[in-house]
Amino acid sequence: MKNRNRNNLSRVVRWLVVLILSLAAWRTANAAEPIKHQITGLFSTDREADLRATFKELPEFKLVSIDFKNAEASFEYDPAKVFPNAKPEQIVERFENVLRQASRHTFGIKPLRSLPKDKLTLIEIPVVGLDCKGCCLGAYDAIYKLPGVEMATASFKEGRVTALVNPEKIDRVELETALKQRGVQLKTE
Amino acid sequence: MIVRVLIAVFVLLVGLSKSEADEPRQAFFQAHCFECHDANAKQGGLDLSALKLELANDDNFARWVKVHDRIKSGEMPPKKQPRPPATETAAVTKWLKESLIKAEQTQMADEVRTGVRRLTRAEYENTIRDLFDMPGIALQGNLPGDGSAHGFDKNSDALDISHVNMAKYVEAADHVLDLAIATQPKAPTVQTRRISLANSGGFVAHVILNGDGVLLKNKQPDPEFPPAGDQHHIDEGAHERIGSFRNGATVGLFRHEDESLSPYFIEHVTIYPGRYRVRTSLWSFQWDKGKVLPSRGTEAARLSVVQLTGDGRGGQHPSYVLGYFDAPSMDSREHELVTWLNHNELIGFNTASLAPVANYNRKGRAMAFTGPGIAVDWLDIEGPLHDVWPPRSHRVLFGDLPLDEFKPAEKSSVRAPQRKQVRQLGAGRNRPDPSQGLWTVSSEQPLVDADRLLASFLPKAFRRPVNDDVRRAYVAKVDERLKVGDSFETAMRWAYRAALCSPDFLYLVADAASIGTDVGRVDDHAFACRLSYLFWNSKPDDRLTELAASGKLRTPGVLRSETERLLKDSKSQRFIEDFLGQWLKLRQIASTDPDRKLYPEFNPYLQDSMVAETRAYFRELIDKDFDASHLVRSKFAMLNEKLAVHYGIPGVVGSQIRRVDLPADCPRGGFLTQASILKITANGTTTSPVPRGAFVMDRLLGQPPEPPPPNIPAIEPDVRGAKTIREQLDKHRTDAVCASCHAKMDPPGFALEAFDVIGGLRTRYRSIGDGDAAPRGSIDPFIGISFKLGPPVDASGVLLDERSFKDVTEFQTLIAADSGRLLKNLAQQFAIYAIGRDISFSDRDPIAAIVANTQKNGGGIRTLIHELTQSQLFQTR
Repeated sequence: MKNRNRNNLSRVVRWLVVLILSLAAWRTANAAEPIKHQITGLFSTDREADLRATFKELPEFKLVSIDFKNAEASFEYDPAKVFPNAKPEQIVERFENVLRQASRHTFGIKPLRSLPKDKLTLIEIPVVGLDCKGCCLGAYDAIYKLPGVEMATASFKEGRVTALVNPEKIDRVELETALKQRGVQLKTE
Repeated sequence: MIVRVLIAVFVLLVGLSKSEADEPRQAFFQAHCFECHDANAKQGGLDLSALKLELANDDNFARWVKVHDRIKSGEMPPKKQPRPPATETAAVTKWLKESLIKAEQTQMADEVRTGVRRLTRAEYENTIRDLFDMPGIALQGNLPGDGSAHGFDKNSDALDISHVNMAKYVEAADHVLDLAIATQPKAPTVQTRRISLANSGGFVAHVILNGDGVLLKNKQPDPEFPPAGDQHHIDEGAHERIGSFRNGATVGLFRHEDESLSPYFIEHVTIYPGRYRVRTSLWSFQWDKGKVLPSRGTEAARLSVVQLTGDGRGGQHPSYVLGYFDAPSMDSREHELVTWLNHNELIGFNTASLAPVANYNRKGRAMAFTGPGIAVDWLDIEGPLHDVWPPRSHRVLFGDLPLDEFKPAEKSSVRAPQRKQVRQLGAGRNRPDPSQGLWTVSSEQPLVDADRLLASFLPKAFRRPVNDDVRRAYVAKVDERLKVGDSFETAMRWAYRAALCSPDFLYLVADAASIGTDVGRVDDHAFACRLSYLFWNSKPDDRLTELAASGKLRTPGVLRSETERLLKDSKSQRFIEDFLGQWLKLRQIASTDPDRKLYPEFNPYLQDSMVAETRAYFRELIDKDFDASHLVRSKFAMLNEKLAVHYGIPGVVGSQIRRVDLPADCPRGGFLTQASILKITANGTTTSPVPRGAFVMDRLLGQPPEPPPPNIPAIEPDVRGAKTIREQLDKHRTDAVCASCHAKMDPPGFALEAFDVIGGLRTRYRSIGDGDAAPRGSIDPFIGISFKLGPPVDASGVLLDERSFKDVTEFQTLIAADSGRLLKNLAQQFAIYAIGRDISFSDRDPIAAIVANTQKNGGGIRTLIHELTQSQLFQTR
């Protein structure tokens, strides 16, 4: 009776050890794999430095790389650790909140584009304004959340605002209207 | 004629009692007065033949005083009539004087001359501030306004009390106790914050985006923030989020405070009232379409305290000015001060010395603008600063009793003390400390401690020893509250609140036992109060109280040294401000807004400088013991750059008031020609010799003119420039009834016609209608001018004694020559202010003695103050 109990106990222990090691391996494997997100607020190349500076204040996330052309970035972080109790579908939203808070609402996270790039149209709008990061953010803010806008840039230094859009959802006129409402002067005016 | 005189004599004789008939006045009046002042002629409404000597009647007494004064001064009989022999004049005035004094003394034998009165609002606030060592607590704004009698508010005739006052006193007492009592075991954390003028929510960021200011780094435009030009910056929120205003850049501002711009350092909104250290770094520059160049000179910036109200967006106008600070050209200068800030107060800013310009709606905005700017590198604010905890305010109430955490579970029979939730308005980034629980004063022997604490507090609050019975009544109140379940702190609050609302605190009382003794002297503690409320507008300090208690305060040497001590203390600035506010009506400085078309150069900086000049000048007269001629004429003035430019005096740089020697022919210096006085005596649009002359007669010469007869409309000056005020007055003065008064008060007013409504020297009137193009003069080139030059000013005149003057300088010389008259008036004004009652006929001799002693000792104004405090007049009720 005593031996049988001992065997059972050792089986349970072995099983627990295997389970713990498996979980640890799974977690390590998951943590090591970079996670890619689309980044909002990355409206010009000099914003890459701002994004890196922001993540220096967020040590629980490792910014691996930035893909400016696609407004994407790769991160290493442990969702279970930084967002305990969050369901998988809540991770992006939670990350967005953290990033917005840390960047004073100038950067954000959203899911990767679902439409392939060849289904999207790049619209370029010439503008005039001051070579100022705040003004660029203002112009970018005017359009990036519009339905159908997948990605946008703004640079008064270069004199243009661009938007990669789903043409079935939005057109140039709507973009120009939104910019004008924000006070952006279009070059044609 | 003979018949008339005979009738008059008959009437006179009938009207007099037998004893009166023997008086020498009959023959005098008959010979020199009745021709114009009998029942038939009755000039000026006076029938002297029928005027009985019924001096117990106030009106009758006043009429006889006037008769006495007119004869004594030589005004009557008129110059054109034969002069009565001097001996006759002396005899009749002597008789009249004796009769008047005797009658007055008879009437006042059983009266207390200075009535019991409550504290004025300013006295109440200062007394609380000094009692609790809370030097900036704001109270008087919430109390009903005080009345005024005989030129001052410190008079029982004017200081009534109503249920409204009482309700406000209860509120005020609660507010005082809320602030005074420590409710946490540790002092609030000292927070230090560096704030940019373009701080979030502070208005300035918005105007910078639109070109009324710029961001600067290393005294050049911030490369990351181009100045607004043909395009302005869009989206203020985006700039704030991305940190355009948080990168350590300096804010350069071109625009002045106006209806839509109130620059605030709103990131600090005071949570804990107390002392705060404020430091700022300022400089100035010339902006030239994108370039930063050296400025035209030292500019001045104003720091003020703003009380947020309502939802936190209120305030707009500063609650009070902290000061004006120099901003030298291209050279950052740091300024530091320690000031008290109340709950929800913050620091405001203004580019005080700049002209009001606005670029936001101009083509090219900042990139097309050339003009001066003031740069603010930063503002640091640190506090609240406490050198001891609990603070002194708490120790006044609870001594060294310990503060313990109140745990309801352990004291189920005691109600927890109430705590007010503090709500911070606005966009302050300073935060309250985390609550450390409910802490309160604890006592092992509540009634013993209550008795001890009240025995210490009540005499300080009541400014005199307190009887055991009175103290016990307050202790009984504490006992009563403890029995119904109040905590010790709450029970003591009942007693303290009752004390702060009691007549012993609210009124200036003299010890009843001393009334009527020792020829009506006020008791020693009331005398200490008389001194402290004169010079500090507040309660006596410990030293004065000790001297009063020991009976040494009246000793001439001690009194002299105490008067000196009180005058040298910084609290004596309250006397300077309160006395001048009423004597010279400085409180009314902002009651008129000068017409913007006629006086576009006027701004708040000039107005504040005007007031500062008058205060500094009076301080200088007292400190240096200058004689009374300096009231109207001086070889120096107290000026800053703003006033010096206004007066046309070169070589004064900076915002601080300092002593400046005047050129030989300069009429400035005395009160008479100070811009503050000249503004107060004008209506904002035009000047009139009548109110200005009346002011000089009443306030400086001590001869208030008769009030105007009813139904006589005021003269409306012609701002179109067609007719001068003198031409209009000449017509008015052809009426004999008007002429008698105007002959006295118009000449000083004519002399002051040399100055416009904001105290600028002028040779021609400004006009908004006809006239010649006006030269700019010293007006800032960024201020547009549209007024024209109208008719020439004539500042000549003839005094009642027929001495003539051709301009204001000659008028000053004539008036200054009679320094005895100026000194006598100042002595009267001091006396009315100091003793809280009007000067009666029988006070004239004591006043004359004070003046004579002062003149014997050099005639200085500080000497006059000493003579007053040493006098019987000052020391009696």
